[in-house]
Amino acid sequence: MMTLIINHKKYELDLKGNETLLEVLRDHLGLTGTKTGCEESECGTCTVNINGKAILSCVTFACALEGESITTIEGLAKGELLHPLQQAFLDHGSVQCGFCIPGMIMSAKALLDKNSEPTREEIDYALDGNLCRCGGYPKILEAIWQAGREMKKDQELKDIVNESIELSESVSAKST
Amino acid sequence: MLLNPVKFHTPKTLSEALQFYGSLDHVKLHAGGSFLLNSLKLLKRKGVKTPANIISLHKVEELKGISIDQEKLTIKSMTTIDELFDFPQLEDNFNVFRIVCRNISTQPIRNMATVGGNLTCRYTWTEMPAVMIGLEADLHFMGSDGKSQIIPAEEFFKNAARTDKILTHVTIKRDKKATIAYRRVKKSPYVDIPLLSTFLKTYFDRGRFTNTRVVINNCVAFAQRDHVLEDFLNQNTCANGIAQEALDHLDKTIYSTRSSDYKQHMFRVSIKSALEELIKSSKHSNK
Repeated sequence: MMTLIINHKKYELDLKGNETLLEVLRDHLGLTGTKTGCEESECGTCTVNINGKAILSCVTFACALEGESITTIEGLAKGELLHPLQQAFLDHGSVQCGFCIPGMIMSAKALLDKNSEPTREEIDYALDGNLCRCGGYPKILEAIWQAGREMKKDQELKDIVNESIELSESVSAKST
Repeated sequence: MLLNPVKFHTPKTLSEALQFYGSLDHVKLHAGGSFLLNSLKLLKRKGVKTPANIISLHKVEELKGISIDQEKLTIKSMTTIDELFDFPQLEDNFNVFRIVCRNISTQPIRNMATVGGNLTCRYTWTEMPAVMIGLEADLHFMGSDGKSQIIPAEEFFKNAARTDKILTHVTIKRDKKATIAYRRVKKSPYVDIPLLSTFLKTYFDRGRFTNTRVVINNCVAFAQRDHVLEDFLNQNTCANGIAQEALDHLDKTIYSTRSSDYKQHMFRVSIKSALEELIKSSKHSNK
């Protein structure tokens, strides 16, 4: 048995040596948000994040991932609350047939987690492995920029909250 | 399932990996996986027998990391292309790695693919061999008997990248005086399939080319040096028009092997523009 950590949840799995991560996600765990495309590392529809980096699940042995943190498209939303990237894709009408979108979002997430204000060139570079047959790239770019701005605002808000918690803790420590 | 049944081994240390490698039959090493899995899928589709054992080097920490000092750059074999690209201290002759890594495939592949895999997968169209030959890198191997071996990159690829050992790391001497230009051309602007790459390194001595190294990857054979062009350049100064004239002094056997008119044209374009870049940097440094 092997433990895979997917979307912060531990799964005990009896994996075979020849199973790809894509097969495990879709066939064993029913996480079908990650799409099967070319299956030869060309199209990017199967992109997931491992330890914060975008990787292709169709050319990844599941057995090699014990202890690594795997995030799929299903791991982004918090209940009913969509991730800023998912929300931005909806707001901008960036989804046409939708097949490439989970991969696009996972690549964009890896980028925005490092850099919430990417330039056009940086987005092109980070998403060069994700193909959209509908050709919806301009709307996808707009959505990524918007999501970056939202994620930056969220981060700033979190920083303010953390600072106030630290401040109130130090005040209460002094008063006692 | 897309792959034939296989026994998957995940050693945690190099000595454990070497032990597996020495004791198992029909075995393949797994580094990043981007070449390996695609080739295993292809072999299965063709009905060809695939290896019975895979040894994954993913968990072997001794094979990860990059270090640099005044003398040399050391790249451990499991360093990914993206990690090398992001390494902040790539200066002097090592700076070329930024251009090389920037141009390799796509972001998810750069996150997965390793320098060691790129060098030892025995695909003829990978990018690192030409650069390592050009930079006169040493490849460090370790055998299952525990003995280490150092092979210059040029010698390794002359021998068709054959080895029964595990590549542990690569070392490259720092060189502040070299001027380097690199070009890579892909088959199509849409999908990243490499067509060719060229690596040129020279030292300018009072306007003359000296110790020039020209490494060509025609993608149908392992990267190799063009000694004809090197000799021509070493007998000349970096005068105007030399980049054009140099195109009449190429080792034709390298460029014509399984080559189309378009590919030969792109070789000429790449070499000319790389030479122009060298000449420009020489003039810039003389100012």
